[in-house]
Amino acid sequence: MAETTTRPRRRAYVRVVMVAAALFTAWHIFASFLWIAPYSASAREVVGQERLSNYMIPMFGQSWSVFAPEPINGDYRFEVRALVNGEETEWVSASDVELSMIRYHLFTPRAGIVAMDVSSQYKGAWGDLSEEQQEVVALNYFKADWEERMASALGADGNDAVEEYMQQERRATAYATQVAIAIWGDDVERIQYRATRQNIIPFEQRHDPDAERPGIQYSPTGWRGLIVADGQSQEAFTEVFRAQYERMNKS
Amino acid sequence: MSSLIRRAPRAIGSLIALLFMTLGRIVANTWFWVEAWLLDTKKSLYGLAVTRILIGLTGAGLLATNYSSRLYTFGSGSAWNGELAEPVSDFPKIWLFSWFHQVAGNDALFTVLYIVLFALAIAMMLGWRFKIVLPVYFVLWISFIEMNDAVGDQGDNMYRIVLLLMLFADPAARWSLDARRRAKKDFPTILPREISNLLHNLVLVALTAQVIFVYASGGLFKAGGKPWQDGSAVYTPLMTERFGTWPILSELVTAWGPAVAAISWGSIILQIAFPFMLLTRPTRIIALLGIMSFHIGIGVLMGLPWFSLAMIGIDFIFIRDASWMRASALVRGAFLDEEAAPEKQAKQAAEAGDITASAPTPRPADGAPSKKKPAKARVPVRSAK
Repeated sequence: MAETTTRPRRRAYVRVVMVAAALFTAWHIFASFLWIAPYSASAREVVGQERLSNYMIPMFGQSWSVFAPEPINGDYRFEVRALVNGEETEWVSASDVELSMIRYHLFTPRAGIVAMDVSSQYKGAWGDLSEEQQEVVALNYFKADWEERMASALGADGNDAVEEYMQQERRATAYATQVAIAIWGDDVERIQYRATRQNIIPFEQRHDPDAERPGIQYSPTGWRGLIVADGQSQEAFTEVFRAQYERMNKS
Repeated sequence: MSSLIRRAPRAIGSLIALLFMTLGRIVANTWFWVEAWLLDTKKSLYGLAVTRILIGLTGAGLLATNYSSRLYTFGSGSAWNGELAEPVSDFPKIWLFSWFHQVAGNDALFTVLYIVLFALAIAMMLGWRFKIVLPVYFVLWISFIEMNDAVGDQGDNMYRIVLLLMLFADPAARWSLDARRRAKKDFPTILPREISNLLHNLVLVALTAQVIFVYASGGLFKAGGKPWQDGSAVYTPLMTERFGTWPILSELVTAWGPAVAAISWGSIILQIAFPFMLLTRPTRIIALLGIMSFHIGIGVLMGLPWFSLAMIGIDFIFIRDASWMRASALVRGAFLDEEAAPEKQAKQAAEAGDITASAPTPRPADGAPSKKKPAKARVPVRSAK
């Protein structure tokens, strides 16, 4: 075989490293394949579920079911009002304020989707509550230790849905508190928020001039006491939110 | 007859020996071909350089876009979301990736770190001291982007994986400040050259796998959904506030039903067919043009510019070095000789292409294993003469 004579001599260690590196790459590719492909328990058994996720998480964590199987077909919105010096304010849509940072902008800051995310996560947790529990959260809770009282009224013990809800309740209230103080200042006594979802006009009706968007889905919540997280800078929040709020009201 | 039978064992034996020899030769040839592919030269140096530039640009662009709201989204203004107290992402809990998390309470330090990160992104774009810049950038970037898990997207994951893989490759070998420095003096690789080549080429293989898995699985996930099947899926997100950031354009794009169906189905077909379309040059061109239009559409219409730019950047590894050199010669020619007629420029480009193609080192190569012979690709260049 003439062609072997022209082949370069390889040092042994190069070949050893080559085989080892190629084998590792093969493992990485195979693991990525199993992880990225639509979930298959039987395929993942080949390497074992745990070994696979130990290798992939966190560094290679990913999921590509984006806009699939069904793309998102509605808007999550988040509105806030407050009690200031004993008077109720108007509702202000925090999601609209933030939306003005990304609508008709080519370069979109992530700040533009914060309220939508709060609303979407909150509504998800709210939807997992039973009807009786949803009635409880529609009540007002604003006096001292309201979170504990609400949790026990919901039957918190060992209930995953309630635990998740209380986390989202806290997140949404803390966000709404920031929004309220940013708009109405330090005299805000308590707040109320509205996390809603509204679907878009269905595809078939998009050219129908009389078509209306399906109704807004509410997740009624009562008045809440303020929550300010440790380390929260009101200034850093207000600077961005208030400027955007004023810009929006001017136009 | 009897002599035939007498000879049979020997004949069969020699045939079997021949068969094994042939098989052995095929195995040996394959082995040596793979070995040479992995060890002798670095493939797709220009493509990966472009990826480096665009990945750096993506980082710099994302940081610039979020600069004025950095504290609001990632810093002390975002403490309400609970991630400062109890991170949702795994990364801030890992010491190495907790830099930003640790300074989150201090606006001044946070901003300093933010600007350092921006400078590193620029350094990466320029390919300045890349071997030092990339590891630092990698660690700092992850520690930054994982501060607010809630507003992150899949682009963050892709970006992180690409940065990690690039650590083992040589993306600054072309079109970088490092390359200029290397050209001045004979530069030593840190590792023995064959090993350095090996790692670089294996990274290309892993990157290719990563990209085609992402596209193919994305296509499969979509194919299972009703709106994708009935060809209306693209309409839906464009009508939402979050993913329809240009409402007038969204209406324009989705007005004509057949176009909506074509884009919806086209995305699925393109995504699933992508791995196979890489195998031959004409289909590769279609695949890359298609997937890039797909990303530009997402980037502009859906308000995800940086995610899209990163994805486009990665796809550039699939363009062969020869094509990049031709393109570069064309651009250079256009700038050098303003008077030159277009035909003259084309001729210059052709010559440049031929000269570089006949040079020993930059052998045209693909990110994806492809059987295409480099000579074929030069045909249009020759005919331009």
